[in-house]
Amino acid sequence: MSTWLHLARGPLFWTALAFMVLGLVRQLGLTLWETARVYRRAGDKDLPVGRVVRETGSWLVPVRHFGKRWPYSLTTFVFHVGVILVPLLLAGHVELWRAGLGISWPALPNVVSTTLTLLVIAAALALVLERAIARASRALGRFSDYSLPLFIAVPFVSGLLVMHPTWNPFATDPTLLVHVLSADVLLFLVPLTKLSHMILFPLTQLVSEMAWHFPPDAGSRVAETLGKEGEPI
Amino acid sequence: MSDRLTNLKTILWTLVGVLAAVSVVRFTRGLGSVTNLSDAAPWGLWIGFDVMSGVALAAGGFVLAATVHIFGLKRYHGFLRPAILTAWLGYAAVAVGLLYDLGLPWRIWHPILHWQHRSVLFEVALCVMLYLSVLTLEFAPAILEHPLLDKRFLRGILRILKKATIPLVIAGIVLSTLHQSSLGSLFLITPYRLHPLWYSHIIYVLFFVSAVALGLMMVVLESLLSAYFFRHEVHTRELAGLGLAASVVLWIYVALRLGDLALRGVLGMAVDGSWHGALFVAELGLSAVIPATLMLSRRVRESRAGMAVAAAFTVSGMVLYRLDVSIFAFLRPPGFGYHPSWEELAVSVGIVSAFALLFIFFVERLKVYEDVSRRPRSEDEPKPSYDPSTVRRLQPRTLAAPGRFTGAALAGAAVALLFLPVRGSERTPSPVVAARSVEGESLDRGPARTHALVFAALDSAEAVTRARTTALPGMTGRSTGAFPGSRAPLEKTTLLLLVDGNQDGYAVLFDHEAHKERLGGDTSCVMCHHLNLPPEANTPCASCHRDMYDSTQVFDHAQHIAALDGNEGCVQCHAQGVKVKSYATSTACSKCHVEPVATDPVIPAAPDRWPKAEGYMEAMHGLCVTCHKREVQRHPDKYPADLAECGTCHDADRAAQLRELEPARDRAVLSRPPDGLPAAGRDARTEGAGPDSHGTPAASATGAFPGAGGRQTP
Repeated sequence: MSTWLHLARGPLFWTALAFMVLGLVRQLGLTLWETARVYRRAGDKDLPVGRVVRETGSWLVPVRHFGKRWPYSLTTFVFHVGVILVPLLLAGHVELWRAGLGISWPALPNVVSTTLTLLVIAAALALVLERAIARASRALGRFSDYSLPLFIAVPFVSGLLVMHPTWNPFATDPTLLVHVLSADVLLFLVPLTKLSHMILFPLTQLVSEMAWHFPPDAGSRVAETLGKEGEPI
Repeated sequence: MSDRLTNLKTILWTLVGVLAAVSVVRFTRGLGSVTNLSDAAPWGLWIGFDVMSGVALAAGGFVLAATVHIFGLKRYHGFLRPAILTAWLGYAAVAVGLLYDLGLPWRIWHPILHWQHRSVLFEVALCVMLYLSVLTLEFAPAILEHPLLDKRFLRGILRILKKATIPLVIAGIVLSTLHQSSLGSLFLITPYRLHPLWYSHIIYVLFFVSAVALGLMMVVLESLLSAYFFRHEVHTRELAGLGLAASVVLWIYVALRLGDLALRGVLGMAVDGSWHGALFVAELGLSAVIPATLMLSRRVRESRAGMAVAAAFTVSGMVLYRLDVSIFAFLRPPGFGYHPSWEELAVSVGIVSAFALLFIFFVERLKVYEDVSRRPRSEDEPKPSYDPSTVRRLQPRTLAAPGRFTGAALAGAAVALLFLPVRGSERTPSPVVAARSVEGESLDRGPARTHALVFAALDSAEAVTRARTTALPGMTGRSTGAFPGSRAPLEKTTLLLLVDGNQDGYAVLFDHEAHKERLGGDTSCVMCHHLNLPPEANTPCASCHRDMYDSTQVFDHAQHIAALDGNEGCVQCHAQGVKVKSYATSTACSKCHVEPVATDPVIPAAPDRWPKAEGYMEAMHGLCVTCHKREVQRHPDKYPADLAECGTCHDADRAAQLRELEPARDRAVLSRPPDGLPAAGRDARTEGAGPDSHGTPAASATGAFPGAGGRQTP
């Protein structure tokens, strides 16, 4: 058991972390590169940059966008707050960073962390249920839309049990192993799945805007319309 | 872009990703963390392959330049530019490979300023640097011809460079001749380290001639490979011409190699059935005899497959020749063999991959092959297009290739990282062997405190017999009653402790009973036994101080969980309401474990928490020296002033006697002790370690060199 824990907390963790960071940098680089290429070729170079930035900002705190389906929006918001804050600001995690790298930052009180963790677990379940219940979102939903929230909940459930051993029906070390291993796998998954929106989100508005300037196969259709097929655009 | 080229690039990018991960560890954690190099094997794969073979593989540049520009064989002109490009990238790869191998890579420029006229390596370094510059100038026209660089100033430079072709070619030939041979001259100073089948007075001639043949065959191989990947035409007639020339040079090489061995009278070693003999036969056959014979036939020379086989044989065989000279035929003490670590292999392969990608990059963008067209201009590429309804990763299909290559590199790096020692090389554990008790007698309790020894309890029966029957040189006059046959029999035996934690044979003899008596009998135990395991009263030192040099974790968390009723028991050490469950915030060990702590020890255990026990050596020195110092201060009349000095316990004479009697163990003094010595080496040393032979490890090891006995040294 200690060997597995050692592996999951050591080589697996830093490999996963490096894979996540480099993978996200790769995604960002590829997206920016292609966006720049598209912009260079776009006939209409008038990009509403101000609106793109404003929209990105307003979706960052989406209270304004809570509409008819506000319970779903609220669940998503709570889920995101917990998923971002708890791993970074949990006192135990801060202590690990301090021990490993010598840098530290203020931590959340444990009561707040525990509350947020419980909220994340509840929100993950609610997200899946809400998606399954509403017909429109059910039609759009892919496998990853159901599996990812549930998988994200695994390190939170196991973490909660490690934090509170008296609530834990299982032995501590195996629970800790599940916690660390599932978190490692999650880090690996970030650049490979739609979780990469954690770094690509500022580009979603921009890319949609670019896409309107350059609809699918736009070039060939325009050339076709103008009777200039095969000529450079 | 053809599929095979994309697949090749994907593989190369993966290997470059692995290289990147290894490089990070190599340059942050040092050579020791990723290589199997040691003081006995300071030159490994990175020198044998990256430098020695790299330089030889790039020899095509000067050979083809001479063929076309000096000998005027213009029909080979089509091979010249790829050969120059290969040479240019090859030498750059050598420089990069060298950076990995140099302990202080940032000093790679030192030969430019710090001239060392007597050093062959200095000549090699300077030649390689100058030739790399010459190659840059030779290849520069290909770059300057690119439409992007069609500027007036650059056109002027291009004209000058084209006019300077012949002087540049001559400089290239001179420099190549110098350093291709000098790489062989490096080994002239190792007549006793290089196996006689490879050591030669004309090794520099052999290196040069083999480089010429290898250069020609490398051009052939590379031409066939690029024809396959870029799908262009093969110039069979010209390849056949190169093959014939290579065949002639290879036969000259074979004649020189065998003639030299015959003249020195060691040719017989090639067929004596030894490992080195077989290696020699395989290498010469692979590198020269088989391909040279094959290429005598016109049919082979004019067939693609035939030339591919011959070229692959020569290239791999000549690389093996360089590896043999620098690794396999290089003799080392037994137990200090060398095999490259996977990281070393990954770096060598990764550098080749990176430069192969550069080669492809230049071929796709410049006019390197006359019949490979430049990559399609950007206007002809597929148009980028976004589909907002299905876009998942915000990237359109046109980025499939870059996405694939960067993904491959990332995957390679991640897999490598998983197996790399990111925290640096782990210290080799050196488990402590607990002190053993031996029967002996304290003859004199005065300041001299001489002990006579009888090894009744030593582990080897053979050693005991020898101890009883051998009169040791250092023992006369001191061990008056030790052994049967000496003047007085042993009178009052006592138990002595033989303290030799790392079993290197330099034991310290510790008179446990005398210490106990001096310090106050049974009540004095706690002075040294400062912390006992729960069920014990006088835990031996090695129970906690388990490693000779490193501190050891002695706290068993799992055992505590089990003993404290699982999860319910956590709060007994990690109090409720504590923010972080850590070592620092846990309940003190001494709060529960009251009994095992000594009240007045010489070295107190850490006041309340003791998860880590320091290294054995540190612990022993701390305890003994502290107490000795204190006693000398307290009773200057009773003890000699040097009681706290090293010699008091580490008695050189006594250690020598103990060493003679110890069963043979690894006593190598070189930097990286081997895990286990081969049986032959162990036997040789056991025999050599008798009382009349005081052979040093190096001397006894030299005797075990294969082929050392029959060597015909100049």
